[in-house]
Amino acid sequence: MNKALFKKALSNPLAMVGFIIIVSVFVLAMLAPVISPYDPNDIDVKAILLAPSWQHWMGTDGLGRDVLSRMLHGGRISLLVGLVAVGIATAIGIVLGAISGYYRGWVDTLIMRLVDVMLSIPSFFLILAVIAFLTPSIWNIMIVIGLTSWMGVTRLVRAEFLSLSGREFVLASRTLGAKDARLIFTHLLPNSLTPIIVSAVLGVAGAVLMESGLSFLGLGVQAPQASWGNILTDGKEYIQFAWWLSLFPGLAILITVLGYNLLGEGLRDALDPRSNNK
Amino acid sequence: MLKYLVKRVLWMIPLLIGISLISFFIMHLAPGDITNNEAAFNPKASEESRQKLRELYNLDKPVIVQYGLWLKRMGTLDFGNSFASHQKPVFWQTTDKDGNVTKGMIQEALPITLMINILGLIITLSLAIPLGIIAARKYTLWQDKSITLFNFIGFSIPGFWLSLLLMYWLGVMNNWLPISGLHSINYESLDTWAKIKDSISHLILPVIIPSVTGLAGITLFVKNGMLDVFHQDYITTARAKGLSEHKVVYTHALRNALLPLITIVGLSIPGLIGGSVIAETIFAIPGMGKLFFDSVLMRDFPVIMGILTIGSALTLIGNLLADLAYAWADPRVRRGVVRN
Amino acid sequence: MTSCGKPNQDTTDYTKTFPVESGGMLIDATIGEPSGLIYMVAGESAAAAISGNIFNKLLKYDKNLDIEGELAESWLISSDQKTITFKLKPNLKWADGKPLTSEDVLFTWKLVTDENTRSPYASDYQLVKKAEAPDPNTFSVTYDKAYAPALDSWSGLQVLPKHLLEKQDIHTTAFARNPVGSHYYKLDSWTHGENLKLSRNPNSVLGPANIDKLVTRIIPDNSAQFLELMADNIDSMGLDPIKYSRIVPARPELQKKLALYKELGNSYTYLGFNLKHKPFDDIRVRKAINYAIDKQEIIDGVYLGLGINIASPYKPGTRWSNPELKPYPYDVEKAKALLKEAGFADSDGDGIVERDGKPFAFEIITNQNKEREKSAVLIQRRLKDVGIDVQIRAIEWASFISRFIKTGDFDVVVLGWGLGLDPDQFSIWHSSQNQPGQFNFINYNNPQIDTLLEQGRLELNPDKRMKIYHEFAKVLLEDSPIVYLSAGYGLTAIHKRVKGIVSPAPPAGIGYNSHEWYIPEQLRRAETGRNEIAEK
Repeated sequence: MNKALFKKALSNPLAMVGFIIIVSVFVLAMLAPVISPYDPNDIDVKAILLAPSWQHWMGTDGLGRDVLSRMLHGGRISLLVGLVAVGIATAIGIVLGAISGYYRGWVDTLIMRLVDVMLSIPSFFLILAVIAFLTPSIWNIMIVIGLTSWMGVTRLVRAEFLSLSGREFVLASRTLGAKDARLIFTHLLPNSLTPIIVSAVLGVAGAVLMESGLSFLGLGVQAPQASWGNILTDGKEYIQFAWWLSLFPGLAILITVLGYNLLGEGLRDALDPRSNNK
Repeated sequence: MLKYLVKRVLWMIPLLIGISLISFFIMHLAPGDITNNEAAFNPKASEESRQKLRELYNLDKPVIVQYGLWLKRMGTLDFGNSFASHQKPVFWQTTDKDGNVTKGMIQEALPITLMINILGLIITLSLAIPLGIIAARKYTLWQDKSITLFNFIGFSIPGFWLSLLLMYWLGVMNNWLPISGLHSINYESLDTWAKIKDSISHLILPVIIPSVTGLAGITLFVKNGMLDVFHQDYITTARAKGLSEHKVVYTHALRNALLPLITIVGLSIPGLIGGSVIAETIFAIPGMGKLFFDSVLMRDFPVIMGILTIGSALTLIGNLLADLAYAWADPRVRRGVVRN
Repeated sequence: MTSCGKPNQDTTDYTKTFPVESGGMLIDATIGEPSGLIYMVAGESAAAAISGNIFNKLLKYDKNLDIEGELAESWLISSDQKTITFKLKPNLKWADGKPLTSEDVLFTWKLVTDENTRSPYASDYQLVKKAEAPDPNTFSVTYDKAYAPALDSWSGLQVLPKHLLEKQDIHTTAFARNPVGSHYYKLDSWTHGENLKLSRNPNSVLGPANIDKLVTRIIPDNSAQFLELMADNIDSMGLDPIKYSRIVPARPELQKKLALYKELGNSYTYLGFNLKHKPFDDIRVRKAINYAIDKQEIIDGVYLGLGINIASPYKPGTRWSNPELKPYPYDVEKAKALLKEAGFADSDGDGIVERDGKPFAFEIITNQNKEREKSAVLIQRRLKDVGIDVQIRAIEWASFISRFIKTGDFDVVVLGWGLGLDPDQFSIWHSSQNQPGQFNFINYNNPQIDTLLEQGRLELNPDKRMKIYHEFAKVLLEDSPIVYLSAGYGLTAIHKRVKGIVSPAPPAGIGYNSHEWYIPEQLRRAETGRNEIAEK
């Protein structure tokens, strides 16, 4: 995407903070196997529910597992859920939006009605029902969140295509006999990439939160695999006592989601022509 | 206006058909004959009720016929009886031959969820509008940034965690607010005034927590709306005419910025209904979200289908009302200048 | 005395002794709302807990788990052991004042065995070939052949009023939400999704209970329930081992007002093999796994010591539990040797044993129960030590049952059995009980066990019967179709304002004399403020 735009977004201190958060969380999650002080599944029944100390920076959980190590590994899972779910949603959104915006006509009408239908069903209900019927697993969760959150991207891509297709360079290539596919992939899509990225960044935030909500209901990533959502859910039972079990995952989700939101909004702001005149 | 209304209502028909298709699909997601598989877990769903269910959904007929019949039943709002809850009617009350009235499950749950969400929406709007105006007027200044940050923190906290922390702090450590439920145990014996006080204190947390979460979106929307309007010609004209800044903001800009908000509120209905699952579970509130979640866990298909359909229909009605309100408020739409 | 109830400033001394007095209100909480209060059709534990206070049974277990009469004054078993004749106590009444007679008992029996009722508990009563009520105080049942668990079954059937239920559809009747019983309490109100309120039944057939009102609040989230307990808005709650042994003792303000009770429940946790799947059909493999699991570690780590090791499927200390049996010890070497004997060896040096080139790997599935999940994690590590690669999945209950248990699509489960007080376990172990939806889902099939189970049902002499079940448990342990993991204690916290609770718990558990519990007036909740309770 546009480098200048990115630079401009990061000149906004909030977006910069968001960007730093995202990068740090991402790096920590990637490095989890290297920097984790313990194996996240290493149990020690003699060290149950220890408060944070030099040995265990974030304490231990109900099986004596090191919370920091579980947080790092759980972060990988939570981010994976977020990224894949958004990836699926974005892919569907781009395809349907492109078809809709490029070909228009009855295809467009059909797709837009489908978007309307999906938007009017409470999507959390849909997600709950489908995940429960298919039995919860990390893949089902990613796919179902993805399949229920593509509508925004579709509308966005369609709008971009509609506005771009009237522009001169598109008209020019069309008169020069460019094939549909070529036109879509070399001209239209790259030009509408920025808003797609903005919406994807915001989407990751939503998906990470969604996973924690599903975990609370027992339909999230299933134990013993760690995710921030299920570490937090485990810890909520002892929120007043073993505070470290809920505080760290709670803060991790809060900070990460905040980071994605701040960056996403920063990018959206930078995109906004208004911000030039102020 | 009437023509617009008719047109708008007709638009809902294809959407309703789409919704029926999706909920039909969900029911068939459970592998095999649902009456054998999932329902059999429940001892009450044994042969007779399974047979009833089979007839209800016409599972012995071809899929296309099944769908047609489902559509027909949807049209008459007949969602059958729950098989996990003593055959209670799913949607609306029924009276049996002995004159016993059994209330419908959705009938009982819906008003609670609606009340909480409408109260929440009022609070969200009454906070978001002033915050949005301030943010727009102080665009890119520290006030704008702090509002943005505050809103996003609210949005980013896992709701159930925040709820538990507040329940502990306000309910256990300080005993200022009740922890869960809708009423105190002795509610019936209170006088009217105390009853009102009791209900309000029980509603504070369940109403405020979701509003804090929803604040970010609406505030941003108001802010951007205001910014848009600020840049439009007529505001510049108003300014040039020497109208005070105050007047510009509150009479001209605000009215125009708030118009699209009506649509956004309409669109937020499914999110609010869906989001009620977690809040209602944690605060022990017998609303739609809790009912839906319980039904999913019990594989109570009639209730699941009923809630999906009624929930979606509510959204459509909400959107319709929002559009009508918009049309009424915006003279251009009223005059038919702008369509759809 | 708490005034506007700031629990942290509670200065009441709950340890004083008070004379027994009646009145007061006890509030507890349930996670799920009952679907109705007719237990034979409702069936959930939430319904059982409440309907048990409203309806009587013919018989009951006393504090030492011996059977005694409840509605019945006496009972007589015929010399051919096929007929039981119950004599009801005189002048029994329903809460509405109508007389309770043997006609009601007969009606209840007809109802529970009626095909249309589809009661999950019908099977015991369907064995009755003839039931009669020759006079208002006599009820007799005749079986085809002697049925040893019969008396136990009559201590489980809640008797319903004929005059209110006759000609009603049991599945839709308003009675389910507005029941009339004969026990200590009657239902006052039921606010959907919020609470059920019971008050003393003036016509109680067993005389008055001490506590005036029982309120059950519906609070679906466990953490919220515990917060309510801390804030003194509920009086009692079941605890997990961490809350019981770490949290409450560590907090003086909770220590001060909560009394903790532990009782050995009639249930245990086990690891069960799908015996239709290879290699679990091989007894050496099952035994190897049994030896490889460190049960003491599970008790210490998961139950924080609040559980005991078992070797038979009966509550330890009761007559049915065979005291000579010893659990499989933790013995890695023996486990490895058995695996080797069964043909498993680590030929490629990856730490996992193989047979016929296939590594020994399987998935343990369990439902979302903290203790079971944790046990599975500990087992996973121990089995790794002997070269078995284990994955774990915890699955939400309804999926768990429908997707895996009913279809038989599982290798190994970690689950629990809650048992009745009668030793008959025909439905769990008999080879005929392995159809989808039945309880022998591990497909256990051992002719010797089948015979013992059949004999046990016919034998009415307690000593002979005991021998049969001791033998049954011995064969079962030797065959190792499941690995007993532990029998955990039931842990409960009850507010110290509730007096009269017997501790340590007798064999029947602390609840056996709940009608004698009392709340001294000085300790009751304050009249004003949010904790206020309308007492009068």
